[in-house]
Amino acid sequence: MLKAVSRAAGLAKTQLSKSLPALSTCSVRLQTCPPDPTCIKEAWKIENESIISMPDEQRQKNALESTITVPTKVDLTPVNGVPEEHIKTRRVRIYKPSKNAMQSGTNNIHHWEMEFDNRQRWENPLMGWTSTGDPLSNMKIQFSSPDEAIEHCEKNGWMWYIDEPKIEKSEKPKNYGLNFSWNRRTRVSTK
Amino acid sequence: MTKADYYCSVKLSRCRCCQSKFFNESIRMLRQPLTRALALKSPTRAAPLAARCQATQIQPQPDKVEVFIDDKPVYVLPGTTILQATAQAGVEIPRFCYHERLAVAGNCRMCLVEVEKSPKPAAACAMPVMKGMRVKTNSDLTRKAREGVMEFLLVNHPLDCPICDQGGECDLQDQSMAFGSDKSRFTDIHFSGKRAVEDKDVGPLIKTIMTRCIHCTRCIRFASEVAGVDDFGTTGRGTDMQVGTYVEKMFLSELSGNIIDLCPVGALTSKPYSFAARPWETRRIDSVDVLDPLGSNIVVTTRTNEVLRILPRTNEEINEEWLSDKSRFACDGLKRQRLVTPMLTDSRGNLTPVEWEDAIVAAARALRDCPPEKLLVVAGDMADAESLMALKDLANKLGSENVCTEQYFPLEGAGIDLRSSYLLNTKIANVEDADFVLLIGTNVRFEAPLLNARIRKAYVHKETDIALIGPQVDLTYDYLHVGESASIVKDLATGTSSHEVMKRLQQAKRPIVILGADQLKTPEGSALLAYTQELALKVQEKLADKEWKVLNVLQRTASQVAALDIGYKPGVGKLLQSGPKVVYLLGADNGVVSRDQLPKDAVVIYQGHHGDNGAAIADIVLPGAAYTEKRATYVNAEGRAQQTLVAVTPPGKAREDWKIIRALSEVVGERLPYDNLDEIRDRLSQVSPALVNYGNVQDNNYFAQARALAQSLQKPISGKMDVQLKQLEDYFMTDSISRASPTMAKCVQAVLKQKQSSY
Amino acid sequence: MAGALARVIQGTKSHLGLVGPLVNISNVPVRFQQTQAPTKSKYGPLADCDRVFTNLYGRHEWRLKGALSRGDWYMTKEIILKGSDWIVNELKTSGLRGRGGAGFPTGMKWSFMQKPSDGRPKYLVVNADEGEPGTCKDREIMRHDPHKLIEGCLIAGSAMGAQAAYIYIRGEFYNEASNLQVAIAEAYQAGLIGKNACGSGYDFDVFVHRGAGAYICGEETALIESIEGKQGKPRLKPPFPADIGLFGCPTTVNNVETIAVSPTICRRGGKWFASFGRTRNSGTKLFNISGHVNTPCTVEEEMSIPLKELIERHAGGVIGGWDNLLAVIPGGSSTPLIPKDVCSTAIMDFDGLVAAQTSLGTAAVIVMDRSTDIVKAIARLIMFYKHESCGQCTPCREGVSWMNKIMYRFVDGNASPKEIDMLWEISKQIEGHTICALGDGAAWPVQGLIRHFRPELERRMAEYAACNGPSKAERLY
Repeated sequence: MLKAVSRAAGLAKTQLSKSLPALSTCSVRLQTCPPDPTCIKEAWKIENESIISMPDEQRQKNALESTITVPTKVDLTPVNGVPEEHIKTRRVRIYKPSKNAMQSGTNNIHHWEMEFDNRQRWENPLMGWTSTGDPLSNMKIQFSSPDEAIEHCEKNGWMWYIDEPKIEKSEKPKNYGLNFSWNRRTRVSTK
Repeated sequence: MTKADYYCSVKLSRCRCCQSKFFNESIRMLRQPLTRALALKSPTRAAPLAARCQATQIQPQPDKVEVFIDDKPVYVLPGTTILQATAQAGVEIPRFCYHERLAVAGNCRMCLVEVEKSPKPAAACAMPVMKGMRVKTNSDLTRKAREGVMEFLLVNHPLDCPICDQGGECDLQDQSMAFGSDKSRFTDIHFSGKRAVEDKDVGPLIKTIMTRCIHCTRCIRFASEVAGVDDFGTTGRGTDMQVGTYVEKMFLSELSGNIIDLCPVGALTSKPYSFAARPWETRRIDSVDVLDPLGSNIVVTTRTNEVLRILPRTNEEINEEWLSDKSRFACDGLKRQRLVTPMLTDSRGNLTPVEWEDAIVAAARALRDCPPEKLLVVAGDMADAESLMALKDLANKLGSENVCTEQYFPLEGAGIDLRSSYLLNTKIANVEDADFVLLIGTNVRFEAPLLNARIRKAYVHKETDIALIGPQVDLTYDYLHVGESASIVKDLATGTSSHEVMKRLQQAKRPIVILGADQLKTPEGSALLAYTQELALKVQEKLADKEWKVLNVLQRTASQVAALDIGYKPGVGKLLQSGPKVVYLLGADNGVVSRDQLPKDAVVIYQGHHGDNGAAIADIVLPGAAYTEKRATYVNAEGRAQQTLVAVTPPGKAREDWKIIRALSEVVGERLPYDNLDEIRDRLSQVSPALVNYGNVQDNNYFAQARALAQSLQKPISGKMDVQLKQLEDYFMTDSISRASPTMAKCVQAVLKQKQSSY
Repeated sequence: MAGALARVIQGTKSHLGLVGPLVNISNVPVRFQQTQAPTKSKYGPLADCDRVFTNLYGRHEWRLKGALSRGDWYMTKEIILKGSDWIVNELKTSGLRGRGGAGFPTGMKWSFMQKPSDGRPKYLVVNADEGEPGTCKDREIMRHDPHKLIEGCLIAGSAMGAQAAYIYIRGEFYNEASNLQVAIAEAYQAGLIGKNACGSGYDFDVFVHRGAGAYICGEETALIESIEGKQGKPRLKPPFPADIGLFGCPTTVNNVETIAVSPTICRRGGKWFASFGRTRNSGTKLFNISGHVNTPCTVEEEMSIPLKELIERHAGGVIGGWDNLLAVIPGGSSTPLIPKDVCSTAIMDFDGLVAAQTSLGTAAVIVMDRSTDIVKAIARLIMFYKHESCGQCTPCREGVSWMNKIMYRFVDGNASPKEIDMLWEISKQIEGHTICALGDGAAWPVQGLIRHFRPELERRMAEYAACNGPSKAERLY
């Protein structure tokens, strides 16, 4: 009980320190006043809730407020409800999306993605839409780094592999003048 | 350290800056082959944390100039264009005509940016940076300029996006959304309307809707710079300017499809793909091409279990961002002539559909009843490493060593024991650094179009000279034709030749020799190979650059390198003459094995995906999956293992190839010890770690040993060299997929028709 | 040695000025004095003795004999031997600005070529593709005084160390090309150009290249492309021709007039030339006066002459008197027009016309009297630019044809008054955003029209709306 009170008091203290507007309503600032108004001795404010709550409730409240430490290795598979066949047999490819060759823009490809191995699709005879029996077929998740993707996969128990794109280019300055060079084959013949 | 780890870590990446080297290394370590994790575990993740140590701090560099992009300092090489500098700063400038792999044109004016102290906005794509230049990529002036250009482009651009195939992946659409005005003020739509331009006919692959053209001239530049076919150009001037071939003519290039990609609007679209799908309703699966030996990276676009089109995927080490026409357009062959069900010959000798069980049992019976020395396994063009491995294991278990490929390679001397004897050792990307290229008996243009594009790139940008020994063909660049006789190679190797080529080879700092694998099937093949090895090594020993490799053998098919790595014997030769009782064809469709060469009672089992030459002579047909339908390993001509991914599922009852063999082994009674892909890849890595070292290629350096072993083979040679693919029409239909493709057939027809035209 | 030689000859400079042209005995010393006194308030008329082009009207022999009699090729060798620095300096002193329209100081332009050679040859290209509507000065030089041009080529070439000069002549100038060719042949035969030109030990060739009738080939980089055998489509700058020009080599492109006056400047001294006109606008200039004047003519006059005086003295005044004047395009079709009130005070030089929101251009004065349909006149000019746009870059290709459509609707008044601002904005969207100056040249006339004749445009629209109801163009607004 004492603990609860002191804890509540601590809470109150921080609240007080946040709401700084001075305790004095006088417009003249007293020099003798200690600089920090929160240092003024005063009875701790105790919240009503913490007084009337039962110890059990209090414990729960404390638990909710504190941070939870989780073991480094997490395995979500027992709790996430994904059928075992989709955990054991599926393989995740972690990759950087490739640039669409049809376009010059490079937005939306500066991240890493994960996708599952592709399974059968068919055209739904009713509407002509594409159907699939694969619940993971649309699970494309974006990550900012391969590490995050790997962590995610391992948490979910999926096997993964990384496909590293070979897109690194050497830095070569472009030169418009080469089009008209007198002794090089870069000289353009037509427009 | 395991063997695979060793291979992974020995080859450090050679990157420019240390930061990215760090990064790459860590990733490479990550990407240890899955096979290490037999117990279905993912690769160990000790290393990935290192990936986070990417330094982002920009340090001033002495040989670079400082420029300010939106007040952010960037250090770039002197002479860099503003556009490249902004790219380094992470700012993308809109562009239409600029393409990083083409010459700068500077005519679309979309990339105009404000440069401080300059009265006019500058074209970022062509303007070199000056020291201390301050570029404003998002100022009012810049935005106004872009908006103005955008408005002008749209004045005569038909707003037919709803019926345009480019819709959804159109640069003009995107950039007008991002940089254009929100409303139109083109009042003249009520009076004179828009310009209309007659469409051109440039062949069966490219559909032109020239009204949509914004005259960026990318296609023109591609044709003359990369494809080397100077047929495109502009006629007329002002608003009457038109892009086209000056006279109506087919675009006779094996790289023509790339101008579809390059076109920022819908003026050039794919004819086979026209009105087929929208980009947002398709799925894109990254994969690898197997129709030529280079293993270009591709994206397979699918919808409802159907391959719609194939696009290139950037891989700087292989195909940059180009793709050859066969690889791009032969995909409609994947839907035709397919083997969708197992088949057996009935009493009248006709193949009739049966259930898998029957077919497997029949095949197993034939295999079991066959004396081991009478079993012959022949692997074809597009067999993947997994099925090659499984089939070889099965044959070995049955006591047979008669596993071979269709393509021949001499076994005398070092034969296939040393990997460097049959690979493209220089590597594709390094070809562009070469300063002298000697081609021996190969028409690179059609055997490996993108390798030819690299050679042409070196020719254009690095002033590389090329010499050719072999039949005179059009390689799209000038070359020194040395002759057709194989004896020239001998003369060069023995040093008895006084030809200019000898001098050039000796003077060159980075020469390469590329030998076409087709030449090796003649009786003189082994001598030719020996002399070529001799010549290459002689040249290589004198080079200052000790890392540089001179000798290259250009294989013809995507499966050959993997097959040789696994231990297949190249060529059917003697094995076929010994009268096999059972012939197992794994996608062998090149007609190397024919019925009349076989004994009457021989049983032919064909496993593959197309009803082509192989299936035609088969008694038992086991339908397999094509390269878009399986996750499989292919090793390209450089020795780089890459994997295809499942884009669609195999049609009908067809199954993944290695699984068929695995199932067969069970029925034969020689159960193969792998049940899933990881396990068979583990087996592959036991044979050679290179087979599962995906994406990477390792250096091979046993040239001296190969030469030593080949000394005795240096016999006089005199034959004339010939190549299979001489003209463009020979290029399109070379394997079971492209032979089944109606588009490829149309191409052949169109090329033949164009030949009759006087233009 | 060369320096010493130059110094020796420097001593004789004043003599050179004195003995140069045949007919300047009386005036030259006076001119020299005048340069000392900076305040000169009256410009023009030009005294006959100060004319550079003494056979402008073809009254005399144009061949070598006649040219020699007019003082051409006089002491050319000595000028060359004074060295390139001397020539460039003289040009700098003269304050000569390019006569092709942009007005870039010629001496400075030539000095760009004096960089140490990197093994590439250098070229001089003479822009004789005189296609600007209203301009007819270069053709007079080429058909009546071709030797001035050829001699100028030699002197300019020696100043920049060029190997050869290419004279790119407009395809339509058949007679001019033929006269020029004859003159070149004469000069070769007389040993004036070619190997050891004028005995100076300097080898210099002159070639004539005929164009095929494209206005855009008058743009220097398009001209270079055209000489190279490609489509005449301008290149971006940088790189400037002085760096990468003809056949990828350092090149200077100069107007015919610029080149043709340079020998006289060298002979009579830069100071003499600088004594004409206001500072920064010095020299004499060929003015072409066309349109609604009584006697259209090409005349050499002093720079900074008032427009009104130019028209009245040389062109016999505006038809119907000065009050009948509507507007003048002062520098060839690509410059903005100026209305009558501005004309009365306009000074014909670079700065004077910039102050009047127009430009000297090629000094081709197009006079329009009150009978002119000014909107139609400008529309016709825009149609010309639309026809001549090369189509390479977007703003010009699309913008000029759009402006053309709008302008022809303005002629009828079939447009919305709001479109006037829109047209203004479109012209601003073209200006400065194109590869070459053709876009600017197409935008300026429109801007001039809107600037000065907006009420006229609005009147037509109101008239049209009164007769035919609101224009369809109103629909968008």
